[in-house]
Amino acid sequence: MPSRTSPPSCTLLSVGQAFVGTQNVDHSGAMKEERWTVHVRIQGCDLRHGTLCGSMEALNVPAAESSVVTFWEGEIIDNINHTFFTEDWANPDTDLKHWSRFPSFAPLREAVNRDGGKGIDLARHSHVYMRWKEKFFVNVGPDCGLTIAGFYYLCFSRVDGTIRGFYYDPNSSPYQQLELRATTEGRNGHSFGCYEFR
Amino acid sequence: MPASARSRPEDIVENLSSGDTSARLKALRDVKNQIIGNRSKKLCYIKLGAVPRVAEILASDTETNLLVQSAAAVGSFACGIDSGVRAVLDSGCLPHLLNTLSNGDERVVEAGARSLRMIFQTQLAPQGATFFRSGGALENILRLLASANDDISEVAASVLARCCDFPEQRAAIAQAGALQGLLHLLTHPNPRKVETALDAIASLTRNDEQQSRALLNAPGNPFLTVIIPTVKERSGKSRLLACACVANISRTCPEYGTERTTGPPGSARDVAAAVISALVKLVDCPGEAGEEAPSVLAHFIADSEDLQKLACDADAIGKLSGKLAAGSGVLTPRHRENIFHALAALCSTREEGRRQLVESRALLPVISGLEDAAPGVRAAACACTKSLSRSVKNLRTSLVDASIAEPLFKLLGDPDPSVQATASATLCNIVLDFSPLRSQVVLDGGGVAQLASLAHSMDATLRLNAVWALKNLLFMADSATKARVMREVGYPTLAALAQDPEDGVQEQALMLVRNLVHGKPEDIEAAVRPETGLLEVVDRKLASGARPEVCVQALYVMVNVATGTEEHKERVMATCTPSVLGRFLADESNPQIRVAAVWVLINLTYSKGGNVRSRIERLRRLGLDAQLHKLLSDPCSDVQDRAKTALEQFHEALQPLPQPSVQMVSAHIC
Repeated sequence: MPSRTSPPSCTLLSVGQAFVGTQNVDHSGAMKEERWTVHVRIQGCDLRHGTLCGSMEALNVPAAESSVVTFWEGEIIDNINHTFFTEDWANPDTDLKHWSRFPSFAPLREAVNRDGGKGIDLARHSHVYMRWKEKFFVNVGPDCGLTIAGFYYLCFSRVDGTIRGFYYDPNSSPYQQLELRATTEGRNGHSFGCYEFR
Repeated sequence: MPASARSRPEDIVENLSSGDTSARLKALRDVKNQIIGNRSKKLCYIKLGAVPRVAEILASDTETNLLVQSAAAVGSFACGIDSGVRAVLDSGCLPHLLNTLSNGDERVVEAGARSLRMIFQTQLAPQGATFFRSGGALENILRLLASANDDISEVAASVLARCCDFPEQRAAIAQAGALQGLLHLLTHPNPRKVETALDAIASLTRNDEQQSRALLNAPGNPFLTVIIPTVKERSGKSRLLACACVANISRTCPEYGTERTTGPPGSARDVAAAVISALVKLVDCPGEAGEEAPSVLAHFIADSEDLQKLACDADAIGKLSGKLAAGSGVLTPRHRENIFHALAALCSTREEGRRQLVESRALLPVISGLEDAAPGVRAAACACTKSLSRSVKNLRTSLVDASIAEPLFKLLGDPDPSVQATASATLCNIVLDFSPLRSQVVLDGGGVAQLASLAHSMDATLRLNAVWALKNLLFMADSATKARVMREVGYPTLAALAQDPEDGVQEQALMLVRNLVHGKPEDIEAAVRPETGLLEVVDRKLASGARPEVCVQALYVMVNVATGTEEHKERVMATCTPSVLGRFLADESNPQIRVAAVWVLINLTYSKGGNVRSRIERLRRLGLDAQLHKLLSDPCSDVQDRAKTALEQFHEALQPLPQPSVQMVSAHIC
């Protein structure tokens, strides 16, 4: 059972929800910024284990010939299953540097720096923090011009369903930024499909 | 060679009923000597009807030699051959065999005890139901359990171990004070007697909270001081049985606390780790201990994710799949079944367990288990597939290549109902949107028709699974798939399922409707046009105060319908929903209901043009905007945030179009 600090469920972060937005690379010092369209759909969400997963489609990426679909698995920072500190893919310094780029993280920063932020009441926080790690390419081979070696630090706003994220891969351009918003997919309102594992 | 040895078996059998005592005795000796260790002779004498005649001697003779020989002959018939055991049981000699244990002559007692042990070691041993019918049998057994003769008390214990199938039997046995006698036997220096006592204790406590608690709290702490140490010592069988006792207590007595993640040394937590380690080691043990160890493991960890983790960390999955990979042909069906059940439990809740299983070499044996000749193995392999398929990733990857959908659909028509139930439950996962298996088999093959017909089953579990599978099949489905499914299911059936006597079926049916109307306006129209009657059924759920789980789903049907055209929004307005929405917004017991109710309001007020102003006016007259205001301080943040969105829309739509005033909006909200 989730304890007091576990983030409560949010209907905009549930299975079937689609997000649209962009990812951009800011080649600092270079002449131009690259930007492409991103579609995301959440396909699984398990708050008890603090995990979620889904697909991510990158359209008109400069380096790729066609759109690229990947499958990702995510961790929700809930201080039960996952903390702000990344287990295998990054060190605490990198973690703190990335989380700190989200304005909503500012009030949490000191506590996280001190003791990992285990005492923070995330249930009352306006945002949900996550990590998404792409696992495999769905529609193209691994030589498609994109890499999935890194992972995203993300911050989801409960209030308006927007997501901001930063891609971290020591071998890629730093601070590739992801900006997404929950979409109604052209409908006259928010529709909710549902499934459950048996 | 003496002439008598050449007697024809027919004559010997005839002589078993001779009026002459010495002739009977001689015939008994002949039969006994001929059948010992000789399977074909046993079959021959069984066919000639020897067993009932031997039983008759046991029942009516009083002479010691006759009793000893007849009891021994019965044991011989029952040894090593199932039809022999059956013939002995059919002859009705069991009560008489039990009577031998009270005979004054030690030789009679010994022969009787040996034969009873033979019978009660087999799987065919009489279930308590038949056995308990013979008057005084239980009292007799308990008296023997207390016997000074160790052989006799051991037999009594092994008989008791086979009489624990029903709660009433266990209660009767316990009430008669059996546990005390069994615990006493545990301290015996002879390991075989300890093993027999453990067997009876394990049977007595299995799935029985009262008996488990009695064992846990038995005076003198035999559980702590005898059973727990046995987990680590003694023979394989004894270790297994001690583990089974701990598992029984852990499953039924939460206060014992094996699930606590931390604890001092020697605590229940430590015991759990020791039990798991012992069971994992026992997997490699030859014989019955190795065969049953996976079953005890499955039972122990079934309800506890924490124990599942401990078992995975002890490499249970590697050990078990190693057994399977070594060639499932060399394992007995029972052994395969137990292994599949253990693997199913190990990856029922943890993705890490599923990953380990996929990476071990067990996937192929699991798939071929779906087509095993033994129904128990098919059901267990199915349970294992079900656990594996509770993962989006597996559905997208490893299970795709394994061609599991076809055998699973075949199992929907299995003669064994428990196989059907597990297969239909597994299909719920296989048919999901992100599973490439969906289009492959479900839509191209006759899968939809099969599920649709199963939705009519008289069996509530099958009906539930079928509707659940159809609901999952429609998650994110396109219009063609929806039409295809509804051609097979039919709207009248769906409406009936939404009013099923079982609440669970109702809930699934409403979710199915929810998925039908999650899509384009055409999808919504197809489902809610008046001829289908669906919207009325859903509306009645909300008006009539159905269970909260059902109401949540009914509300989401309305939420989704209200994402369609202006007309669809008006159709929702025309139902009872707006007038009962206030009740759901004020339902303090259930944030899910409140959120769903707010979403209805968000979607009804979503559009800019059309009738939105009029709708808002009508919703206001119902006092719903005032209720939304209250929700701005709701304890659930999702409710708060959505209420805020809804109120913004209430106000935005009423602004004069050219100059929306932000200040005015906030003034209204606060």
